[in-house]
Order: sequence, then structure tokens, then C-alpha cells
Amino acid sequence: MALNPMEQFTIKPLIAEPLFAIAGHPIYFTNQALLMIIVVVASSLFLTLAVKPGRLVPTRGQSMAEISYEFVANMIHSATGEDGLKFFPFVFTLFMFVLCSNFFGMIPGSFTVTSQIAVTLALACLVMLIVIITGFAKHGLRFFMLFVPKAPIYILPLLVVIELISFCSRPISLSVRLFANMLAGHTLLAVFAGFVVSLGAAGGLLAPLSVAPLLLIVGILLLEFLVAFLQAYVFAILTCIYLNEALHLHDHH
Amino acid sequence: MTAPDPDRLNDLGKKLAELQTRHAAGPKRQPPSQSGIAFRFTTELVASLVVGGGLGWGIDWLFGHFGFHTRPVFLIVFFMLGIAAGIRNVMRAAKEINAEIASPRSSETEDGKE
Repeated sequence: MALNPMEQFTIKPLIAEPLFAIAGHPIYFTNQALLMIIVVVASSLFLTLAVKPGRLVPTRGQSMAEISYEFVANMIHSATGEDGLKFFPFVFTLFMFVLCSNFFGMIPGSFTVTSQIAVTLALACLVMLIVIITGFAKHGLRFFMLFVPKAPIYILPLLVVIELISFCSRPISLSVRLFANMLAGHTLLAVFAGFVVSLGAAGGLLAPLSVAPLLLIVGILLLEFLVAFLQAYVFAILTCIYLNEALHLHDHH
Repeated sequence: MTAPDPDRLNDLGKKLAELQTRHAAGPKRQPPSQSGIAFRFTTELVASLVVGGGLGWGIDWLFGHFGFHTRPVFLIVFFMLGIAAGIRNVMRAAKEINAEIASPRSSETEDGKE
């Protein structure tokens, strides 16, 4: 049995034949693509079916959907104010996608979509693209004032460069945070699972000791569920904060 | 068909008003966990370093392409600017987290008075 803790993150094509090719690069249908489709289909099916009955006294499913709706709406409202609610569909989709990907990744034997930097970086770049488009649409060229803090004129050139670097670092910090959290958590679980197996296989006096890492796994697993939710929340709230800056420039700070 | 109980109606009215004020004030957020804060600061700092260093390296490469050998100069300068940007990011993140921790409590007390 292979005990490589990183093995769970490998991307494998599920169909041997490439689907199509883009500029000579074959595009395969991978476990990653499958999980992403499952996540999108499952979350949209759940949300639409749960609110379908529209009961005044909600069922369990309906109240879950309503709670997630209200949670995201409140988050946007508190971070960006009234006019940020235009972005509700975007932030809600993003939040649900990340949340469901994280939770689907917690199913043993499945694959965590958000543990791939390609996915999280693409999401973060999408966020930054929308922030930039919003900023230019709302303020025109005055959007560049985002990079000009209030400061004496003689240090302004230096500060503008620093602000520019700080702005460019956002997609990286946003994506690395989600990706590293998921990667680290799942690797940790696999490493401790490996301890259980190897202690058990050692036999003799060592075999009963394998209970210890097993108990630890239970604890880490619970923590991982918390991290799965927390990282989705952090991703969404930072999206809101960046949108707020694009919407209001320096008004609020 | 009994007439609606005025007490119950008043009660419902109070609840509704409470919900509306809460909506206007924004929700109460839990403060983020300690490790979450630590991880947030780390990524902010490191990301700026990477972007700063990468930018400097790119400018050096560009100048080298045109025959100016500036190789380590821009890398060093932009790496330092990256450090500055990283610290700025961390300060901004700290401000956000402070506001997050401070604001729910203040809104809660206001609600209580209401």
C-alpha cells in the first residue's frame, strides 16, 4: 500500500482519450473536473430544491438554504454597505462553491478541488478582475486614486509603488491562503493515517499504540471541518472588502 | 374567528422592529480564530515579498534584454519595497480584524438599549 500523503492531490485523467485540444495541448476529463461538476450540480440542485416549497415554517433543508443566504447577505451588507448587495449573486456563488468544494473534499476517498492552486488562483484572479472592472466602471480614472494614499508629496512616489505591490499581492495571498489551508489539513490527516497503518503493521508491543494517532485523526478531522467553513468565509469576506475598496475608494478608511 | 390578540401582535411588531434594526446595523460577526489571524498575516506578508521580488526580477530581466546589466539592483530594491508593502498589508489586516472584533460588541450594546 502506497503511503504517500501527497498522493491524494494528484490529478488523474478519468477518460484515457483527451476531450479536445487547445493550441496543441490535450484537455482531459480529470478527477478534478468531475469533482467540480459534482460540487456545482449538487450545490445548485440543493439550493433550488430546498427553497422550492417556499413554506412559511421552513423544513430543515429550506432553513439551511435560507441561513446561508442570510449569512452571505449580512456579510456583504456589513462589509460594503447597501450598494454592495448588487454583488450578492457573485459573492454567494463564490462562497457556496468554495464551501461545497471544501466539504466534498472531506468525504474520504474524494478529491479536494480547492487544494489545487490552479483553482484558487483562478478564483482569486476572477475576484480581482471584477474589482478592477467595478472600480473603473464606477470611478473611471479616479480609480487610480486607490494607489495614492494621503501623504506628503516627497514620499508619494515611493508609497505609490508600495501600494501597487500591495494590490498585486492580493490575488496571491487570497489564493495561497485557501490552497495552503486545504493542502496542509489533508496532508496532516494522511500522515497520521499512515502512522496508524505502520504502527499496526509493526505488530507486537507497537500495535496497540496505533490507537493514539487514530484518536488524533478524529480531533484533526473535526478541526478540518471548521477550517473548511472558515476558509470559505475568509475568501468571501475578503472579496467583499476588496469590492468595498473599489466601490468607495478611501471614503471608509 | 377570534380577534387577534393585541399582546401577540405587539410582540410580533417588536420582533419585526428588532430584526429591521439588526439588518440596518449589520450582523454580529464572531472574531476570527487566533491561528486564522496568524495565517492571514503570514500570507499577506509573504505574498507581497513574492510580488515585490518577482517584479524586480522581471524589470532586471527586461533591462538585461535591452543590454543594460542591472541584474541585482532592481531585484534588491523591489524586494525591499515588497517588505514595506507586506508590512502595510499586515497593518491593514490588523485594522480590519480590530474593527471586526470591536464593532459587533458596540452594535450589541446599542441594540440592548433599544
